[in-house]
This record gives sequence, structure tokens and C-alpha cells, in this order.
Amino acid sequence: MTEVTVKNVDLSSCDREQVHLVGAIQPHGALLVLEEPTLRIVQASTNSADFLGTPCELLVGQCLDELLGFESTAAIRIQLATKNLNSAFTHLISVPFLSHQDSVVHISGNRIDGLLLMEFERTTDSIKVNPAYEYSSRLQDMIQQLYGGSGLLSFLSVVVEQVRVLSGFERVMVYRFDREGSGEVVAEAKDAALEAYLGLHYPASDVPEPARRLFELSPLRHLPDVDYVPVPLFPDLSPLTDGRPVDLSHSFLRSVSVMYTGYLLNMGVKATLVMPLMKLGKLWGLVSCMHHSEPKYLCYEQRFPLELLSRMISLRIGDLESLDQFAYRVRLDQAHGQLIGEMGRAKSHFEALFGSKINLLNEIDADGAALLEDGKVTLLGKTPSEHQVGLLAKWLVQQDVVVLATHCLPDDFPSAESFSDVASGLLAIRVSLASLTWVMWFRPEVLSETHWAGDPNKPVIINADGQESRLQPRTSFALWKEIVRGHSHPWQDCEIEHASKLRQSLQDILVERSYQLMQLNTELELSNQALNSFVYASFHDLKEPLRGIHNYAELLKLEEGEHLSGQGHQRVETILNLTGRMHHFLEALLQYSNISNVEQDYQACSINRLVEEIIDMLKKTNPDENITVDIQPAMPVMLCNQTGLRVIFQNLITNAIKYNREAVKALKIGCYTTNDTPIFFVQDNGISISPEFHEYIFQPFKRLHGQKEFGGGSGVGLAITQKAIMRQGGRIWIESGEGKGSRFCFTLTPDRSEERG
Amino acid sequence: MVKTIKKMRPLMIVEDSDEDFEVFCWALQKTGFTRPVIRAESAEVALTHLFPELLQADRIDPLPCLVLMDLNLPGVNGLQLLEQLSKMKQLLSIPVVIMSTSNNPLDIEACYCFGAAGYITKPFKLEDYIEKVRALTHYWFNTVMLPEGSD
Repeated sequence: MTEVTVKNVDLSSCDREQVHLVGAIQPHGALLVLEEPTLRIVQASTNSADFLGTPCELLVGQCLDELLGFESTAAIRIQLATKNLNSAFTHLISVPFLSHQDSVVHISGNRIDGLLLMEFERTTDSIKVNPAYEYSSRLQDMIQQLYGGSGLLSFLSVVVEQVRVLSGFERVMVYRFDREGSGEVVAEAKDAALEAYLGLHYPASDVPEPARRLFELSPLRHLPDVDYVPVPLFPDLSPLTDGRPVDLSHSFLRSVSVMYTGYLLNMGVKATLVMPLMKLGKLWGLVSCMHHSEPKYLCYEQRFPLELLSRMISLRIGDLESLDQFAYRVRLDQAHGQLIGEMGRAKSHFEALFGSKINLLNEIDADGAALLEDGKVTLLGKTPSEHQVGLLAKWLVQQDVVVLATHCLPDDFPSAESFSDVASGLLAIRVSLASLTWVMWFRPEVLSETHWAGDPNKPVIINADGQESRLQPRTSFALWKEIVRGHSHPWQDCEIEHASKLRQSLQDILVERSYQLMQLNTELELSNQALNSFVYASFHDLKEPLRGIHNYAELLKLEEGEHLSGQGHQRVETILNLTGRMHHFLEALLQYSNISNVEQDYQACSINRLVEEIIDMLKKTNPDENITVDIQPAMPVMLCNQTGLRVIFQNLITNAIKYNREAVKALKIGCYTTNDTPIFFVQDNGISISPEFHEYIFQPFKRLHGQKEFGGGSGVGLAITQKAIMRQGGRIWIESGEGKGSRFCFTLTPDRSEERG
Repeated sequence: MVKTIKKMRPLMIVEDSDEDFEVFCWALQKTGFTRPVIRAESAEVALTHLFPELLQADRIDPLPCLVLMDLNLPGVNGLQLLEQLSKMKQLLSIPVVIMSTSNNPLDIEACYCFGAAGYITKPFKLEDYIEKVRALTHYWFNTVMLPEGSD
């Protein structure tokens, strides 16, 4: 094994260094390795002369009673027989210190690899030992304080303050590990003069896996003096373990990693005390105490209450995290209820998700939200652009899921790299399988939410070989930043549940709405039928007297004609003219209202043939007109409603002939199919319509010319045409320049290219 | 049994409008129609005439050989009358032709469903009126055979 020292330490040594097999201890205690049941000493730390009064060379081979005397050894044997020493170093006895009889030595033991390890630690001379009274009242105070906090973070801020008071260390921090093992300083109490580490993040490699495992094994680690000289064991290898170093996993005195001391040196720390915070048997975080001004040693009596406190904090953390979770869950549930309630009130259920007070971002820990509904994007808060959300939806469809949660979107969908600052995290639900409706929540990159209180301008530490030292907070932070680039905080289970529940509710509402729509449709159909009969009845009632007047006027003309004066004749003619016009008018109106009743059956139809038929018919009914028709580009064969299409072309072609003073009425009819949606046109060389009338000409009864011009007309033709086109889902417009004839264009299906904008 | 000379069975018109009736008669006359014509102003009158047994009355006039009927009648309307007639076996041999202002496809279909023998929309121009009446009488009295037997 390569020797790892402060000098040659590098990053990879973190995982190589086997901290528990270091074979050395710190100098504030002594360690003996014994054989059971004889309690013969097989190894001793080389400081035994100073600490136990006997040089290690002499100790090895001795029995324990030779060192401690028969009485103490007997007491220890009783403890050894009754206590479980397998999982930790356990306190065995405290006896008067061998050389200073007014001081006490604490002896604890641990069985590992068939060996008995025994650690000896002295009580600091200045301590007046009265733990029972002094600490119990202080602890009680603290417990009260600790139970006052609401929420995990405020609790931890109380914790660090209390630990600082109790331990006397200059800085106390709480680290929390995330799922990947990266850490964050979530609470800190410190002397004002010290640099703040609150908010500092560092990568998992800073507290490598072996170190984390060791933290789980010991309730407290203490490094009284970072500049200590490690005390090796004698002999360095145990004769009882086939030459392997003795396993110091549980040892309190164990020498620490040079990585760790290197890091502390760079931070200017002289002494540390670290207590693991456990949740459900797993390392949750650490309480880390640091002393900057000088070495600091806490003896057994002083550490004992801290150890108790850390165990209590561990218990409380579980509770508080559950409580925080629970409270968050309740808030999400309330937000869900509000959203659903709002949807019930709002006209459009999706609109309700984007209200100013009640919206998708209520309570949930996300900075932005989006709705994509049939290609239409609605955004809220900090989000990618509409275009980017569209791309995202296309990618989502390929994932073939209805609920998706990711906290590293750029890893899953590389195109998301460009907007990872606002959306490294994505939570998405597909509301409807039939249509492409997605609701999304976005979470920003972790970096954008991270604020380290440390001073960014402080110079970096340079190694002897001129390299920037890895072992310092600044480098850790930079390294951590690289690791979490493109990552957001992970989505919690309750957030994903919240999204799924909303999905369910939205679907329920959609089903409910479509049922309501069905009912409305039925009602509408009935009311349409009623209206239809009404229209016919009204027309009937209007036509009947009109016909009577017309008939009587005609009778008058036919039977009494010879008695009438010239003027009388004229007047009878006028009556006939007017009633005739009104009759024509009523018929047109009836046709207009009937367009809605034409059955929408779609059949493949050759539009070319249809147009030719209409032209033939019009040529026959207008034998005096000279009409030429040029059909190109050729008309397609397409699915359409033939009755509707006939009405459209007949009206447009009739108009093209009617509103035309030229000797030769030259018509051009054609269809452009370059777009998704074919565009038909009917162009003439007749009169043109000035642009200010373009909007009005499609309104019913809107006429631009007098009754006597162009053979009169009901003014309903273009209105009927437009209605027939709209029935098919298309639209009509006019392109007409002054004096250049008119060109009517129309489509028969919804204009897709226009939707895409 | 004494054989009486059979009266020529009349043409019956069910029409509430005096004006329409007048114009119709005028058109009949123009086409040279010679049969007797009887008029009922309402469905009730028509029914009494066609089926006097209904009111335990005696038959006075002979049954018509053809009925022309307007749809828009006061009280019981034409369609309802047609429906009632279609249920009377004794009257099934008399064809009923509808003459109406309405060109509502629903009306037209309903009339044929209730056994109408034809449906004519009342023309707007007298010229057309004469044409239609000529065609009507030509068909029913010169082309096809109508039941002429005694009741």
C-alpha cells in the first residue's frame, strides 16, 4: 500500500486511503490490543510510557492486571463478560489515574477481528467532574429550546447555536448529504470574525464513502489538534491477525485521514469535533464543530452530553423532515383543491390553471409552468420559450409516458442544454391521450438557487509544487458546481403525486365537459329543428299573402286590362315587379338559412367535372353571353361535400358573369396545391371591388349596386357562398385591384399553415 | 232495382283562403275544366262531407273523385286531416293531392307518408298556375282512371 501523506495527497487518494487500517492513533489517549481470555497485551501505542507509565516494549507480553492491578482488572472482566463490545467502543470503567491519583482515566473496549481493543483517556485536570448535576439541567434547557423550532431549518439553526454554547467551539455547522452524497452546509453558528460557510456545497468525494461508513460507526469523532503527531502501535503489525493491521474502525483515538487534516489546515482549523446525524439507520448529515484559534480538547465528561444531544437531534430530524413533508403535502393538496374549484367556475378549465392568484405554481416548489394544448402554448413564471416548450412536448410524446419527472433534463434531452438555467428539472403530465395536451412544471438549475456566503475573492491556496490546492472549500464548491450543472433539485414523491392527481382531475373534468357538450349538442339539435320549422312557417306565412297580392294584380292585368289607363297599367306592373322582387328575396333568404341544414356527407369528388357541369349549365341559361373559361392549375379530386361545393362554385361563377360589362367574359378558375391546404380561386375580368368593401360583401343583403344594375340581385349570393365554405371548415377572401376584375379565393379545410404561424 | 243515372263525381277542394280558391277556380276555368267542384273551408267541413256517418247525418252530395287540399288550414290542419283520412278504409280509394305554399322538405315527406297522391307548391305567377292546373287535370282526368263507382 502506498503511503499517503499530506505531501503527496491527490483526489484519487480519497477512495484509496483505508482510514480504519491506519495503524496509528492521536496522542490524547493510549491504545492496547489484547488477547482474550488471558488479557495479554499484544500491541500497545508507543505513547504508553507517557500515558500509562510503562514503555510499549515492556507492555507487550504483559497481562492487564500487571498494568492496572488485580482489582481494576477484575472489574473490567465483569464488564467484558456482560457488555456487548462488538459494535462500538463501550465504556468499561473509570479509575483513578495511575500517576495522578486526583485525576481519572476512562477505559473503553471493543472486540473486533477476535481481538480486544482498549482505549485509555484522561480527564482534563481542570474539569471539576460533576456531570450529573451540571449537564442534566443544561440539557433540559436545550431540549426545551430544540423543541421550540418549527420546521427543519429553523430547528437546525437552534441546534448549531446550542452545540456551540455546549462545546465551546468557535464554529458549528450542520452538513446535509443529498441522495448522491454531495453535501451542503444548511446551518451555521460562528464567531463573527470567521468566514461563513453557510450555503457551501461540496461534492461527494469530499466525504468519501469509507469516511461516511466510519461516521455511521462512531457517535462522535474528535481531532483536538490538527498538528498532532500520529502515535503508531508497537509492534506495527499484530501477530494475531496474519500480519494485517488492526482494524480501528470503532476507535475513538484513531488517527485521521491526511486528506482531512490537509483540508483543515487549508481552512485554518486547529481542532474539530464531528457528530453524525442519523435518520433511519442511515447517515443523514453531520454536526461539525471547528476551532480556529488554537487546539481544543474535550474530555470524556465534556463530550458525553454532546453525544447525547446529537442522538436526540438525529431522532428529531426524522420527525421534522416528515412534518415538513406532511405540511408540504397538505399545502399541495389545498392548492389542488383550489385549482379544481377554479376550473369549475372558469369558462375554460385550462384558463383556470393560469389565474393571477390561483394557478399551477401555487405551493409547488417550481419556478415556471406551461400548458401545451393542441400546439398552443401558455406560459407562467420562469420558463423556456414557447418554441422550446413545443420541442419539449415533441420529445415527451416519444417517451410514451403520461407522467414524467426528471431533475437532469439536459442529460435525458440534450436540446434542453440551451435552457437548463430555467428548466433542468421537468415534471410533466399528459392530460389527454386523444389530443396533445401537456401540463409542465420547471425547476431551475441547482446553481441558480445556490448562494454560498463565502467570499469569492479570497485567494486560492497554492501547493508547494505550484498547483492550486484541491483541499479547500473554494475548490470543493467549484467542483460541486461542475457535477450539478444541468441538474435541479430532485422532484419529491409528493410533488409527482400532486401532478398525477391534477392529471386525473383534469381528465375527469374533460370527461364531464364532453358529456355536457353532448347534452348541449342534443339540445342544440332540437332547438335547431324547432328553429328550422319556425323559419319555414314564417316564410310560408309571408309568402302566402304576397302570392295573393301578386295573383290579384295579375288577374287585374289579365281580366281588367282594357279598362285601365296607361298609368294604371304602369302601376299594376310596378306591383307585380315589387311583389316579384320580394318573392325572389324570400326564396334567397330561405336558401341562405337552409345552407346549415345541408347534410355534411363527404365524398371523393372531381372538382374539375363539377365546375365544368356548372359552366355548361350557365352557358345554356345565358345563351347571349360570350363566356370563356380557363381552368388551371387543374382542380384536384378531393373529399368534400358535393352539394355545398356546387353552391359555392355556382354562386362565384354566376357573379363573375353577372358583374361583368366586358364583351367577352373571361374567367380563370384554378387551384393551388403547394400548401397543405389547397387554395381555389375564381377570377374574372369584370368589375373590381374596392378594398374598403372587401369586408362587407360577404354580409347578407349587402349590395354594392342599385337594383337596376347588373340585373338586380338579392345580395345573399356571397353570404350563402361564405356560409357554405365555413360549413366545410374553410374561409373565403377577395383579391381585387381597382379595374382589374375580381379574384375570389377560398379553402375547404382549416388552414394548417396559418395555425403554425 | 231502378238504375239511376250516375252523377259525375265532383272535384273537392279543401281551402280556407277565398283568394286562393278564386285564383284556382279561375285557372280551372282557363283550362276548360267542366266537372263539378265543391269546396270545404276547413278540415271539419271536409270530413263531414266525406264521411257524414261520423255525425249520423245522411249523405247529400256524392263522394268526390279527387281531393285537392291545402296544408295551412284553421283548426285541424291539412296534415292532420290527411292522417285521419288515411285511417278510413272507406275513403282510401279517393286520391288526395296537396296544394301548398310550403316547399319544406319535411312537409313534403310527411304528406307522402300519410298517403298523399301528389304534392304541388302553389305557383307565384298566374302563368305557372295555369300550367300546373292544366298538368294536374290532364293527369287525373285524361291520363289515369279515377274511381267512378257509386258509394
